[in-house]
Amino acid sequence: MNNRWLLLVALVLACAFCSTGCKRRQGGLRPGEFGVDPVTGMAGGGDMYAAGWQSDRPENMTFLPDVRFENVLFEYDSTQVASSERAKIEAVADYIRSNQRVGVVVEGHCDERGSREYNMALGERRALAVRAYLIGLGIDGAVIQTKSYGKENPIAFGSDESAWLLNRRAEFVFYNY
Amino acid sequence: MRKALMLLLAICLWSTGASAQVRVTKGMTDASLLDVSGFKASGTGELFRQTLEANLVRSGWFQIITAGRAEFTVVGTAEDSGGNLSVRCEAYNVITRERHFGKSYRSPSADARQMAHRVADEIIKALTGREGISSTKIVMVGNRSGKKELYICDADGQNLRQLTRDNSLSMSPKWSPDARQIVYTSFLSFFPDVYLITLASGERRRIANYPGLNSSAAIAPNGRELALTLSKEGSPGIYIKDLRSGRLTRLTTSRRAAEASPSWAPDGQRLVFVSDVAGSPQLYLINRQGGDPRRITSSGAENVDPDWGSNGFIAYATRVGRQYHVCVLNPETLAFRQISSGSGDFEDPSWAPDGRHIVCTHTVNRRSRLFILDTMSDLRVSLLPDSEAGDWFSPAWSPK
Repeated sequence: MNNRWLLLVALVLACAFCSTGCKRRQGGLRPGEFGVDPVTGMAGGGDMYAAGWQSDRPENMTFLPDVRFENVLFEYDSTQVASSERAKIEAVADYIRSNQRVGVVVEGHCDERGSREYNMALGERRALAVRAYLIGLGIDGAVIQTKSYGKENPIAFGSDESAWLLNRRAEFVFYNY
Repeated sequence: MRKALMLLLAICLWSTGASAQVRVTKGMTDASLLDVSGFKASGTGELFRQTLEANLVRSGWFQIITAGRAEFTVVGTAEDSGGNLSVRCEAYNVITRERHFGKSYRSPSADARQMAHRVADEIIKALTGREGISSTKIVMVGNRSGKKELYICDADGQNLRQLTRDNSLSMSPKWSPDARQIVYTSFLSFFPDVYLITLASGERRRIANYPGLNSSAAIAPNGRELALTLSKEGSPGIYIKDLRSGRLTRLTTSRRAAEASPSWAPDGQRLVFVSDVAGSPQLYLINRQGGDPRRITSSGAENVDPDWGSNGFIAYATRVGRQYHVCVLNPETLAFRQISSGSGDFEDPSWAPDGRHIVCTHTVNRRSRLFILDTMSDLRVSLLPDSEAGDWFSPAWSPK
């Protein structure tokens, strides 16, 4: 009940923001605009992305390892989806929309610095920000799972900004349900 | 005289409770000189003798001397006969000639190390009035198999054994208050879930698998509740789960923060946790019933990985510049003190039940090892022998 109210409030806010603050596209309100924080104008990280699950985890997941999309990258200690990264999420939404019974696990990752437990929470915030953006694009939240790896699964080794940047990421793993 | 001073110190420490630790001055905690050359051993008795001596040194209360005048002396024998170990052990004050301790033991030779732990703690109790930690254990994460699994060793770093074989990713082990169970996070079923292992039976039970994140679980001092991080309602927050009824209560309400690492106060009435609600990860206190969290760290770019010790103090890691150090904080006065020193990162501290020692990670050039810090001296020892391969993370000291 609480969550529905929050979602409603978020929707109203997003609508209000978009009707005044952003360009309308053909066909009226673009679903993606729901994922923009009305305060900061940034995507991801705000209250509206805190939408919880209305459903349990899927019982049967058959993974689709051959389906690959680009990783979404993040700034240091940030959970905001940068505007440069939005197209990557939109491509994922298109894929889910155009395929039957496909869901996605958004994996949140961090760079090697800092507390393991805190990084688990930070990685989850990143995954949730991407999830919220997908929901904003009209994807059903029940088919978007989040999975934080914290700093446990780096893909780039090295202790410099170039490695850290690649490791602060959200990855997509697709499944059939 | 020395004993009187020690007793007085023990009483002072005990009666002033939480505030005592930080105030203890160097001179009062200098180790007593101990002569163990009068303890003779043969066969497996030699393993007993070595373990006993190492435990007495690691307690921090004694310094073994081979020449000169000691304050205390331990004499006795450890003899192996027909698969059994017979031990006779006495401890004297050299100056007053007072006999503080005298006992005989007999047990299977295979138990030589455990027996030595027990005798060491009895000697420590008799000579200092303090509880020893020789029989306690440390659980940790190791990567030597290529996957992160849980391992357990004795407090002296010996007897290392692998606890999980999940072939997945195991994280954040913590003890139950009775030291009979270990709660941890595992990706065994694809997602990060919280599991409970009962050590005696080896039984493992999944106790939290909500959508999203299930992590950094800590069992309450009453043994009946679990504090943990969940994201099922969105932004990761701290929850309390009743282990019998399964009832779940949301403790923190911020929807704009990443929150983690709850650790219970010894009385179970408050918790300390990490939140980045103010921008960087910092420590906050919250009542067990909820309400507004109170920030308790202001120094340092980050303050993370809190562990609320049985002595009332919170150990945690602070980031200063690019380096992490272990600090100890008094949650009433908010006074704090840095415990670790030197190069590399010191992180993820966990208090020993003696309220004196802390085990933490020490990372240099991406190699992570475990160290025991002594909050009453500058002594720092590697937990595991250097011959143990692999990196080690997230240590937790057993509460008994």
